[in-house]
Amino acid sequence: MLASRTPIQLPHTAINTNFKEVSMKEITDAVLAENNTEVLHINNNLAIYKAMENSWKKITPFWPLKNLIAVNPLAGFEHVAFEEGLAQAHAYFQQQHMPAGMEHVNRETIKWLQVFFDQGQSTIQMPLRTKGFLKSTLTLVGFDKQLHKNNRHKVQWLAKLPSAPEEIIAEALLYLGINTDDCELFLTLMLTTLPGWAAYIQYRTNWADEQDAFHQHPVTQTEYTAFRLVLTCLIWPQAKELINWHKKALLETNITNTYRTIVNNEASYQQSLIKQLDSIQPPPQKLKAEAHLVFCIDVRSEPFRRAIEAVGNYETYGFAGFFGIPVTIGNPVTGESYASCPVLLKPAYTVQQLPNCSHQSCKEGHSRLKSLKKLYQSLKYTFTTPFSLVETMGLASGLWMGLKSLAPAGASYLQSTAQKWVAPDYTVTPNIEAIPFMQQVSFAAGALKLMGLTGNFAPLVVFCGHGSTTENNAYATALDCGACGGRHGAPNARILAKILNDENVRNELRKQGIDITADTTFLAAEHNTTTDEVEIYNEQTTGSLASQLTALKSNLALAGNKNRIWRGGEMGVNTTAARAQQAIGMRSKDWAQVRPEWGLAKNAAFIAAPRWLTKNINLEGRSFLHSYEWEQDSDGLLLTTILTAPMVVAQWINAQYFFSTLDNVAFGGGSKITKNITGKIGIMQGNASDLMHGLPLQSVFASDAEAYHKPLRLTVVVYAPKDRISHIIGQHEVLQKLFGNGWIYMICYDPQEQKQYQLKRNLQWGLLQ
Amino acid sequence: MRQKLAGLPQLFNADRLSMVVLALIFFVAIIVASYATRYLKGDRRQKAFFGNLLALVVSVSAMVCADHILLFLVSWAVGNALLTRLMLHKHVWEAAKQSSIIAVKNFTLGFVFLGAALLLLYNVTGETSIHALVTKPIAFKWVFTAGGLLLLAAITQSALWPFHRWLTSSLNAPTPVSAIMHAGLVNGGGFLLTRFAPMLASNADILNIIFITGITTAVLGTLWKLMQSDIKRMLACSTMGQMGFMIAQCGLGLFPAAVAHLCWHGLFKAYLFLGLGSAAKEKRLDLEYPPSFIQFLMALVCGVAAAFMFCISSGKQILAPNTTSFLTFLAMLTGAQFALPIIRGKATAKLLVAALATAAMGFIYGLSVGLIEGTLAPLHLMAPQPLNAVHFLAAALLLGSWLAMLFINPSAQKNLYPAWLLKKYVQMLNASQPHPNTITAHRNKYQF
Repeated sequence: MLASRTPIQLPHTAINTNFKEVSMKEITDAVLAENNTEVLHINNNLAIYKAMENSWKKITPFWPLKNLIAVNPLAGFEHVAFEEGLAQAHAYFQQQHMPAGMEHVNRETIKWLQVFFDQGQSTIQMPLRTKGFLKSTLTLVGFDKQLHKNNRHKVQWLAKLPSAPEEIIAEALLYLGINTDDCELFLTLMLTTLPGWAAYIQYRTNWADEQDAFHQHPVTQTEYTAFRLVLTCLIWPQAKELINWHKKALLETNITNTYRTIVNNEASYQQSLIKQLDSIQPPPQKLKAEAHLVFCIDVRSEPFRRAIEAVGNYETYGFAGFFGIPVTIGNPVTGESYASCPVLLKPAYTVQQLPNCSHQSCKEGHSRLKSLKKLYQSLKYTFTTPFSLVETMGLASGLWMGLKSLAPAGASYLQSTAQKWVAPDYTVTPNIEAIPFMQQVSFAAGALKLMGLTGNFAPLVVFCGHGSTTENNAYATALDCGACGGRHGAPNARILAKILNDENVRNELRKQGIDITADTTFLAAEHNTTTDEVEIYNEQTTGSLASQLTALKSNLALAGNKNRIWRGGEMGVNTTAARAQQAIGMRSKDWAQVRPEWGLAKNAAFIAAPRWLTKNINLEGRSFLHSYEWEQDSDGLLLTTILTAPMVVAQWINAQYFFSTLDNVAFGGGSKITKNITGKIGIMQGNASDLMHGLPLQSVFASDAEAYHKPLRLTVVVYAPKDRISHIIGQHEVLQKLFGNGWIYMICYDPQEQKQYQLKRNLQWGLLQ
Repeated sequence: MRQKLAGLPQLFNADRLSMVVLALIFFVAIIVASYATRYLKGDRRQKAFFGNLLALVVSVSAMVCADHILLFLVSWAVGNALLTRLMLHKHVWEAAKQSSIIAVKNFTLGFVFLGAALLLLYNVTGETSIHALVTKPIAFKWVFTAGGLLLLAAITQSALWPFHRWLTSSLNAPTPVSAIMHAGLVNGGGFLLTRFAPMLASNADILNIIFITGITTAVLGTLWKLMQSDIKRMLACSTMGQMGFMIAQCGLGLFPAAVAHLCWHGLFKAYLFLGLGSAAKEKRLDLEYPPSFIQFLMALVCGVAAAFMFCISSGKQILAPNTTSFLTFLAMLTGAQFALPIIRGKATAKLLVAALATAAMGFIYGLSVGLIEGTLAPLHLMAPQPLNAVHFLAAALLLGSWLAMLFINPSAQKNLYPAWLLKKYVQMLNASQPHPNTITAHRNKYQF
């Protein structure tokens, strides 16, 4: 499954294909015609095209609020050494000063981007959007007196602009007097001076999900660059200055101290990690566990796994939380669907989650809820009636607001009761028939092999996805499962469990050497990372299994409480065993809570190893744990998958937390307290600003002054022969880039040589000190 | 309550109006404070926030209870100054500083208008007590001049066009500050006019001017609100429109209704601000305009039911030949709009369900208004005016804009927009932008 796929590198280098085709055709024509001036013109166009393409390579995508995916905001700099990337990024993104002209251009750009990319905030929407980004904005800019001040020259220039965006770019560059040599830098600066919005365009043009990829308001990268240039020509014809501004910034950049601090922190973290791992020996033999529990590699699983292992004879595994099932999850009741897999993968099948109540009654409940919302929206989003709406609802909203602030738990209870009354809750079963049988077998085999769970199955095997529950949190999806594309993990867990409970699938698996006997049952569950509650789904167990399940449930509750108490301490909540559930649970229901949980803060290591290596040590919730048994992977295919997929995702997450902490203004979202939400897609600060991509201050800082997360590059620890690792790195450019340029560390625990090595920047191994 | 100490001028006179507004202020302040204990946790200026909030509550309480014109003026100014300080929470952030500067300029202007009005009234009447002053017979020209100045002060305070920009540029303030602002001092204009209601009600001309000023902003603010693509600016423009409506109610002579609007809108808006983190999740449902003619007629019938219930529960005369009918008319439009989704839905016996639900809505609406009006009744602030052409024109404007939203659907016209409409769109979009200095055009100038 995963192994067969070459990972896409960030940022995606594909570009508007139309543009490419036109250029190539023109070149052929020109060569045939042997017309010198024409060739010159085309060479020029080709140069601009190359420059355009390269400029967008600096931009990392930014996913909208509906599924916030962690990425390295500096992914466009990973082709150079880390410290060099840090310096370049400083010059591009972290400058305190910017020429006033450019600020003015930004202001007008933001205004138009806000209205064009609005996904349902405004009622009277920007006209002409279906004609595409450039056409609609430029038509309206023609009427924008604030922009051209009715200057005749400017209005005429606007009217005479060619319609193709590539031609507009060429014309604007000429107008601004940009040399061919500076072209790439200048076009890059057009993007990096408003980095958040450029990142959103990068998402829309290269990384968008099914809905956004075929959006009815289309946009291309060329169009965006052209639009920026047009505004620049109108507002700040002296924009050429930007080039010197940037070159000066680059000269003045000094990141030595920053870099030194980072390296020192990393060294001390690695030392303590190695010390912890040092004393451990392989266990003598495996006892048959009462249950196997498979968790996501997410760092929040580690303390929970430790806690559940401590309360009973349970074995736990770490695996990407989409459980190797790259599918689109459909909801037949609401008619909505989303891709539930890492953004590196494209879902192949759509699995409907069929409700367990009668379909009709579920639909009716949903439509009742929708009708109530319609009543409210119908009065609110029009003329005249909002005046009466506020008077009718004033008293009720006042009381409700009081309850939510003074008694959040009570308000939450009331809300869910009312909601259940209008639209009763229902459980769901995935309709796995959408996946062909042999594909089901292949998904199942792939997942079991990759998690190293291929024999000796416990009577209960639980796939435990995860998700968060928070209230009034614009950043909610940043706390969900990254492996599931910023969504909850339960649907995927349910699918894998259902596949593996199928007798026919088991028969096929037996042929592949995976023997699952009839006394093993697979279950799906979800770990709520905000409350530490674990919900088990669709349990249909009888006899001795039922009592084992009861025991497991009460042990999960015990483990949850243990974890809650520890997490409480990290959040400054001192609580007791008796009160932990209430104290921590409250944070998921409180609309005023800006730190409902710490998410993946403090993440620092990625460990691919058997569980015994890490079982008896406290990794403090800072490690991504991926199960890996090197003996079962003679051809190294499993490790290849681990290093090129989950490890890369872990690096994205690590880098996002790293840079959001390093500079929360340039790379983060800023404080939640002054946030504004634009177009339902992203955060702005206050009245208007760049799209604030990255994590908010409150996700990585304990207070305005004190960081909670520590910016450390990911330390990858692999328990496998070092030659195998070298071989894999040799085959994958993305790994050479990350390790060779020092964006992450690799430590190898070589089980054959019984020695530890560290990978150097030249990709050679050195003995660990 | 009047306990005049010999030799000392009377400073306070807390009447029922004071009590109503005090209740609102305390209620919202307690909620916002409780919210902020968690929301501002870890913020380096959390203590300053609470200090300013407390001082704000004290000064606004003094203002609403003040009887002496000087105390009124001073507490008015101090309240606004404190509000500006709250807005400047992130004081190292340039855009936030600029927002406060714009607010200070606006409030200074308002202070000058108010000061001039009070000075004039003192000169004319020789009274320092507001309660005494407003009931004194004053020459027409002085009522007109002082009323005009008071209206100008109210316009600046309540962010009516063209003095709206401080409010639409105020969103660099932390969310709890916006909540307390939109439930609090921005309502100052309505309170001010109500305080001077007995004087203003005696002059039909000034009431007409107040009404026109208010209704203009009511429509303009709503238009801007509907155009905004970010949640906070949408809420701010919405407040602007609501303030316009509040002032318009004063202009109708229905001062207690304006106070009702002030209270209920304040609570509603504070709630929306505090809960705006969920805005991204709110899915906008397709309301499938336009409705068929039959559906529309049925909705109108339900609207009449709502208007009827509104009159009953708020104690208004049905088809009264005065400005209270303006509110009844509004209740009818709202009822019709409320009934539409039900009539167009899947319910059985739609018309019956819609009529009952709409009547219930009209009843609650009337009850809310009636509750405040009843509380203020002993003050005799209700001064309905005979209907005149301006009122009919305004009613036509409200009706027309409402119908336009229902029946004119630009998306159905396949991008066929006449040039003038595109031009108007751009013009309105520009007009509703915050002041350029208050936009963080360079990301790194944002500071937390």
